[in-house]
Amino acid sequence: MLGKIRSTVIDVTGVLIIGLAIYLISISGTIQGGITLPSSIYNMNTIFLSILIEALPFVLVGVLIAGGIQIFITEDHIKRWIPKNRFAAILMSCVVGACFPACECGIVPIVRRLIAKGVPIYAGIGFLLTGPLINPIVILSTYMAFGNDLKVALSRMIIGFIVAVIVAFLISLLFRTNQLKQELKNANHCEHGTAAVGQPVTMKIFHVLTHAVDEFFDMGKYLIIGALLAAFVQTYVSSESLVAIGNGQIASSTIVMMGLAFLLSLCSEADAFIAASFSNLFAPTAILAFLVYGPMIDLKNMMMMLSVFRAKFVFTFVSIVTIVVFVVFILLNQFY
Amino acid sequence: MRFYFQQAVRAFILILFTIYIVKLHYTGDILKLINPKYGTISMIGVVILLILFVTQLHRVFSKHDEHKHNHDHEDHHHDHGYSPLNGRKLVSYFIIVLPLITGFLLPPSTLDASIAAKKGAMLSITNNAMQEQNSGQPQEKEESADENMENEQPIHQNAPDPNLDSNTISMEKYDQIVNQLGEQDSILMSEQVYSTYYEMINKEMDSFVGKEISLKGFVYKEDDFKSNQLVLGRFLITHCVADSSIIGFLSSVEDATELTEDTWVEATGTIYIEEYNGTRMPAINISDYQVIDEPEQPYLYPITIKYK
Repeated sequence: MLGKIRSTVIDVTGVLIIGLAIYLISISGTIQGGITLPSSIYNMNTIFLSILIEALPFVLVGVLIAGGIQIFITEDHIKRWIPKNRFAAILMSCVVGACFPACECGIVPIVRRLIAKGVPIYAGIGFLLTGPLINPIVILSTYMAFGNDLKVALSRMIIGFIVAVIVAFLISLLFRTNQLKQELKNANHCEHGTAAVGQPVTMKIFHVLTHAVDEFFDMGKYLIIGALLAAFVQTYVSSESLVAIGNGQIASSTIVMMGLAFLLSLCSEADAFIAASFSNLFAPTAILAFLVYGPMIDLKNMMMMLSVFRAKFVFTFVSIVTIVVFVVFILLNQFY
Repeated sequence: MRFYFQQAVRAFILILFTIYIVKLHYTGDILKLINPKYGTISMIGVVILLILFVTQLHRVFSKHDEHKHNHDHEDHHHDHGYSPLNGRKLVSYFIIVLPLITGFLLPPSTLDASIAAKKGAMLSITNNAMQEQNSGQPQEKEESADENMENEQPIHQNAPDPNLDSNTISMEKYDQIVNQLGEQDSILMSEQVYSTYYEMINKEMDSFVGKEISLKGFVYKEDDFKSNQLVLGRFLITHCVADSSIIGFLSSVEDATELTEDTWVEATGTIYIEEYNGTRMPAINISDYQVIDEPEQPYLYPITIKYK
C-alpha cells in the first residue's frame, strides 16, 4: 500500500517538475527579447554552449560506465587484473587506454572510479593519457585532416604512446598514494560500492544510475567551468598574436602550438583539422606537439581533473606532461 | 518516507537539460552549435538524461534505505545530495544551471567576423594556399585509396551540405562533384561543394585563373588589406562551433569600403592570383555582387562519404 502511494507521489512530482520546467522555458522567451548585450558575449555564449552540448553525451556515457564500475567491479577484481610489477602495470594501462575509445571528458569519471577502486595512480594515469589520444576515430580524423597522409596519424599515436609511458613512469616515482581528493578517499567505504553482491539486478542497475547522477553533478560543474574558460579564450584571445610569438624557432613554435592546444580545449576527434590549418605555418614537430599534447591536457579536462585529484597533484601532473612532450619533440626534431 | 528538496532540485536540473537539448533540436538551433552529423549522438545523450531523470525521481521521496548504513556523510566520496545545503553547494548548483540560464535567455548567435579575426582567418587562408607550394603534387585523387576504411568517414576538405539531413553522400556522387569542377567554365560554390572545390582550387590555383566563380560569404577585413580588398569567408564546422575554421577567398571589389564586416554577400567574379604577404593565393576579382540576408545555414560542414 505504502509502496503504491509512493509511486503515485513520484509520478505526480515528476509531472510537476516537468510542468515547472516547461513553464520556466516558455517565459524565458519573453525575457530573451528584453536583454541586449555586446555581441561578443553572445559569441562567447554560443561557443560555451556548443562545447557543452558536444561534450555532454560523451560525459554521460562516461558517468554511466563509471557507475557500472562502481557497482560491478570489486577491489578484488582490480587486484587480480593489475600486474604486481610496476612497469607491467604501466604498459598494460597504456595499452588498455589505447584500446578503449574515449574522449578526454568522458574518461575522467572513469579513471576516478578506477583509482578509487584501488587501481594504482600511475596505471590510472597511463589509461587517462592514451584513452582519448589513441583510438580509431582519432586516427581516422587525423589521417583525413592531413591530406590522407598516414605519417602524421601514425606519428601521433606512437609518440603519444611513448609520452604516456614516460609520464606514467615518472608519476609512479613521485607519487605513492592515490592522490584523490580528501572526500574521495573513502570511496570504498561507500556501502553500495562493495555490497552489491547478492542484490537483485534491478537494484544494481538502480545504484549504477544513481551513481551516474551523482557523478554527473560532481563532474558537470568542472566541465562547465572548463568550457566557459575555453570559450572566453576563443572569443577574446587572438590566435594570430599567439602564432606571431612562435614563428621561426622550433622551441618557441612548439611551445605556442602546445599553448594553443591547451587553451582551445578541442575534442581529440576534431583537433586534427585545426592542427592542419596551421600545418604550413609551423614545423611538423610543432604540429605533432599540438596533436599529442591537446588530448592529454587542456583547460577543460584540467578543470575536470581538479574535481578528482588534489590540486597539487594536478599541477605536478600537468607540468610533467608539458615538460615531457616538449623535450620529446625537441629531441625528435633532429629526425624531421 | 521523506521529501528531499535537493534531490528534487537535481531532478529538475536533469529535466531542464533534457528539455533544453530537445528544444535545440526542435527549433533547429542545434545547427548553430554542432555539426548535424553529431545530432544522433546528442539524442543518445538526451535518452541517458531522461533515464537519469526517472532514476532521480525515485530519490526525491526516498525512504533513504540505501543510506541506512551509519557512515559519516562528511567524508563520503561524493555528494549524494542528502547532506544539508550549504554555501559551497549553492555555488555548485549555480555553476550547473549557468549553461541553462544562458542557454534559455540568450539566443545562440552565428559566429561573425570578430571571431574570424580571433581565429586568425588570414593565417588559415594563407595556410591553405601554401599547400600548393609545399606539396607540389596535386592529390585530389586521394579518396581512391580509402576503400579499406570504415563505412563512413569524414572528409574535411569536402563539401558541406546545405541539405542538413543528408550530409552523407555516396562515393559516386562525390566523384561526380570532383569531376565536374574541371569541366565547368563557371564555378558555382554551393554549400555542398564549397570546401571540396575550395581545396582543389587552392591546390591547382594556376589552372583556375580566368574562370568565373560565384559564391556566398560574409565580409571579413584585416588591417593590412588594401582599400579594395576584403575576404568572403565561411566557417567550416567539423564537430562543434568551437572547432570551426575559416575558409574563403581574398577578393577585390571597387567599393569594398562600402561593405562593412559581417555583411553577407552573393558575388560573381573571376579567379586570379594575388600575392598576400609573400604568399600566392587564389583570389576573386568581383564583377558583380548583391547584399543578401544571412543564409539559413551559414556554416559549412564536411561531407561524409558513404561507401557501399
